[in-house]
Amino acid sequence: MTWALIVDLLLAGGLLFLAWQALVGGTLFRGIVMFVVFGMVLALAWAWLGSPDLAMAEAAIGAGVTGALILVAYWRLKRVNSIEPRDCSPARSRVALVIAVLGAALVAVVGLAAVAALEGEADAARLMKDALPDTGLGNPITGVLIVFRNLDTLLEVAVVLAAYVAARAALGTATAQLPLPPSKTPLLEALVATVAPVAVVVAVYLLKAGSQLPGGAFQASATLAALGVMLVLAGRLGPAPDAGLLTRIGVVAGTLVFCVIGLGALMVDQPVLAIPGIWAVYLIETAMMVSIGLTLVLLFAGSAGLVGRRR
Amino acid sequence: MNHPEIWMVVAAGLFGIGLYSLVIARHLLRQIIAIKVMGSAVFLVLVVSVGLIDGALDGIAQALVLTGIVIAVAAVAFALALVVALAEQTGSVSLEPEDQDRVDGG
Repeated sequence: MTWALIVDLLLAGGLLFLAWQALVGGTLFRGIVMFVVFGMVLALAWAWLGSPDLAMAEAAIGAGVTGALILVAYWRLKRVNSIEPRDCSPARSRVALVIAVLGAALVAVVGLAAVAALEGEADAARLMKDALPDTGLGNPITGVLIVFRNLDTLLEVAVVLAAYVAARAALGTATAQLPLPPSKTPLLEALVATVAPVAVVVAVYLLKAGSQLPGGAFQASATLAALGVMLVLAGRLGPAPDAGLLTRIGVVAGTLVFCVIGLGALMVDQPVLAIPGIWAVYLIETAMMVSIGLTLVLLFAGSAGLVGRRR
Repeated sequence: MNHPEIWMVVAAGLFGIGLYSLVIARHLLRQIIAIKVMGSAVFLVLVVSVGLIDGALDGIAQALVLTGIVIAVAAVAFALALVVALAEQTGSVSLEPEDQDRVDGG
């Protein structure tokens, strides 16, 4: 038994234990907390499997922002209805067990068959690696996201925009409730004054480094979103009933810049979405960072716009 | 990643736990969390099944999963907005009536 196997088994057992804790039994609040811990351990697992990009995204978005979104929704539901429905009857639990075992077996068969069928290098991966130096990028993931399979990324930015519009439509014109910010304390002021500039620097660094090293627009946007959530909770940013011009531009910037550069390629006799150079990669990533970060903060605040508050 | 088989078993287990919770849970928040866990299991399958290339994970699979993580958070945010709107309009946080136990004889 090697150390690698021991770490594999520890992470594997931890993930299954935390998923069980998050989903079965216990109060809902405990389940949400366990889910955030699950996300953090999953981030560790990505790092262990050799993917720092996924680890950063999972920790910041999968655990952090998702956890904040679920917790604020939990808080809003508590204000409406504090009764938590009980889980269902034992008869249905038995049916659920059968369904769950069949579902797990399906995933296991597909996964193990895929592992067994692995042989050598996939064609797509080889082509990608050969073409990567021509783009000037060193991080293959950024290369795939922005240059090779950028239609996926463009559609993803559009999905985030669509989710925001749909969430606004579901909530109506009302501005959702937010927990009251704590009263002014020296500790909070110092925290905001320290963390806010550092978060901006980290986000820009992640964006810049993402061309060669692990990082990129998604990790940067998650950092900005976390900063925004902190500012909302500290009372420095408040919900506004209407989206100002800047907010509107910010929300659509990612989709817009991506489309303009993608269609602009037609004017120089290139195929649609051909990326003209490294400057375009940075431009698209910056726009995506602003759009996704801002959209996530707006979804957290449940409002159409944000307004700065002096305290 | 010395043992991809272990990670496939983990993915299967997570998918199973998520599916089990999705069926038995009444609270919509719990069901959303269950779907998130099932999604994580799918991401694990996607990345691990492509395997290692020169000692590193496949960049294409990682990029697709990265896209998936961001889409998942957007979908969760929309789902949460629907749940909050449902609770505000009906006072309920579940899609099933409270007396379901009597109906299905449990």
